[in-house]
Amino acid sequence: MSGIIIEPIEKYGLTISADSRSKPLFSKIGVVGAGKEGRNIINMAATAGMDVVFLDESNERISFVLGELEKVMDQKITGWGLTQSEKKVIMNRIKPTLEYEDFKGCDLVIECTRYTESGRRSTPLRKNIFKRLEDILDTDAIIATNGSTIIISELAADLEHKERCVSLYFPVSHPDARILEIVSGMYTSEEVYQKMEVFARLINYKPHRINESNGNVSLRMVATMLNEACQILLERITSLEDIEETFTIIYGQRYGIFRLADIIGIERLVTLMEAMFNDFGQKHYKPNPLLWKLYRSNQLGVRTGKGFYIYDENGNTVSPNKSLYN
Amino acid sequence: MKILVLNCGSSSIKYKLFEMESKETVAQGGIEKIGMKGSFLRLILPDGQKVMLEGEILEHRAGIEYILGVLLSEKYGCIRSLDEIGAVGHRVVHGGERFNSSVLITEEVIKMLNDCIELAPLHNPPNLKGIYAIQELMPHTPQVGVFDTAFHQTMPDYAYMYGIPYVLYEKYGIRRYGFHGTSHRYVSKRACEFLGVPYKEQRIITAHIGNGGSVTAIKNGKSIDTSMGMTPVEGLIMGTRSGDLDPGVITYIMEKEHMGTKGITTLLNKFSGVLGISGISSDMREIQESILQGDKRAILAMSTYNYRIKKYVGAYAAALGGVDILVFTGGVGENQAITRSDVCKDMEFMGIELDEEVNKAVRAKEMVISKPSSKVKVLIIPTDEELTIARDTVEILQG
Repeated sequence: MSGIIIEPIEKYGLTISADSRSKPLFSKIGVVGAGKEGRNIINMAATAGMDVVFLDESNERISFVLGELEKVMDQKITGWGLTQSEKKVIMNRIKPTLEYEDFKGCDLVIECTRYTESGRRSTPLRKNIFKRLEDILDTDAIIATNGSTIIISELAADLEHKERCVSLYFPVSHPDARILEIVSGMYTSEEVYQKMEVFARLINYKPHRINESNGNVSLRMVATMLNEACQILLERITSLEDIEETFTIIYGQRYGIFRLADIIGIERLVTLMEAMFNDFGQKHYKPNPLLWKLYRSNQLGVRTGKGFYIYDENGNTVSPNKSLYN
Repeated sequence: MKILVLNCGSSSIKYKLFEMESKETVAQGGIEKIGMKGSFLRLILPDGQKVMLEGEILEHRAGIEYILGVLLSEKYGCIRSLDEIGAVGHRVVHGGERFNSSVLITEEVIKMLNDCIELAPLHNPPNLKGIYAIQELMPHTPQVGVFDTAFHQTMPDYAYMYGIPYVLYEKYGIRRYGFHGTSHRYVSKRACEFLGVPYKEQRIITAHIGNGGSVTAIKNGKSIDTSMGMTPVEGLIMGTRSGDLDPGVITYIMEKEHMGTKGITTLLNKFSGVLGISGISSDMREIQESILQGDKRAILAMSTYNYRIKKYVGAYAAALGGVDILVFTGGVGENQAITRSDVCKDMEFMGIELDEEVNKAVRAKEMVISKPSSKVKVLIIPTDEELTIARDTVEILQG
């Protein structure tokens, strides 16, 4: 007996043919920039069964990113949340690249270029990325950015198909915060918005429709609350611990507001609040001096090991950062 | 008449085409990795030749279309027109309390199946997809649903109730349903045919043991108790499932390991059982190899696995008021002599005398493995769920 006969299946369809086969939405997506948030998106999309291509700047960076992705999955395995074989399947769907050409065929590419150490993102650089993506992608592919500041209309402005651009914000406060803020810009078409709702559901997020506004909804609410909490601390009305407990016990939040600020990242909040202050002119958006103090001393929260709290290498709190307000 | 039997899983479809007059399997195969990369249809031709057809199979509908296309094809097919298929029988995992036997699928049945989705969120939706696909591709062909749970619907209420507030049963249908019904029904009937005794007058214990497993007590042709419950985690220790567990342990683990409902479900379904105890594998063949090398945890996994089956046999002997026939089936039940031997050890007091020599020699073959003097007849009956589904389908068609 000979071995196994292998043949293509297509000719055995009754109604399916190569032409009639419709491409499933979001079978392949791309991510530009695999920082922490980019990696999170890569992981979620691949887990949901999508092929994911990600681009980063060097081979060293790519091996770092792949290592980090594996680390997150290994943690899940130790926590009995994933099996070795599932990890293998998921990792198999993830393809790194240094070339924009490899985004060809993607239905969606999300730009997640990282914050610089100072917390700013370069608009010209992001515009350039959008342009390069437009050159490669099909005309109906969606180009998205991951962020919470007003930017999408600006990033879309120079493109030929502006209606395909959309902004997304994946809340980072905790793993169960599975609401995707989908921001329609000036040009975003309803069709593109609707497709993004489908994407959100595919990765197990609940979509929220947001009209372009600095801070969207989630961060805008946190910003004012955080400013008020900093002011209470500055006025020495009560201790940091008690303000945190007010949040966790009275209002039933998972984390206190300062812990939350450290998780979101001080640099992100300060830049955002500055932008909001410029936009709306309201004083309560102006970053509190305590936030500036942290920002200027590069104590940016969990990521740098110090913020309102001091953290160990695993990101667990060691103690409040007393040097801040003593 | 030809009957097509479909077993649609979340990313797979298994199929068999039977010629009912001769009871022959005229075509069989399966699709795997639906909606994923590297999907394929593999089939075995009547001469044993294996064929793999590779290509994109995005959803169940496309998969079923390819199956029909292959059956019709000149190269690998065996029918000239879809009209040759008299009916399609589907395996449906969960029929809840509404289905106590196989049914002809009508719009009303489809609606009721949709209502059962909550009870088997992983299994019932693909079963329904298969039904929809046949409705579309073969609109005039009758379809029959054969339920994994139906055979156990004869369990008395005191056997299926859990000791929790009754209101939860009323609100969510929380009770024991049992699974592998098609297999337990087939092997118990077949054992009686094989022995030439009347099915409706026997006390039978069937042990369907494979990667998943359950034991059923059958009295006078009716299931009166079974080891799986509302979900397939209850009962025996399985390849990766824990089986019976103190509910207090579950909440304790969740607290200690900071685990949510999803985490604990994965822990109990995918990381427990033989794999969890041995730390080696969920595959009993690998466990046996490790036992040969003296691995203590492999020995422990095997003993725990066998002991749990023995306990159920004892319990069901009590529930039945004695046993006439004990049947082993399923991948492990048909092939693993040591498990059968352990289960039957020191059971002479209740009339089980295993013929160790015969037991050791036999694999996956209909055979009596007890001594002639044994009061309880112990048998191996290889299970054939697809054939049972096909037979049910014919029976329903003929009213």
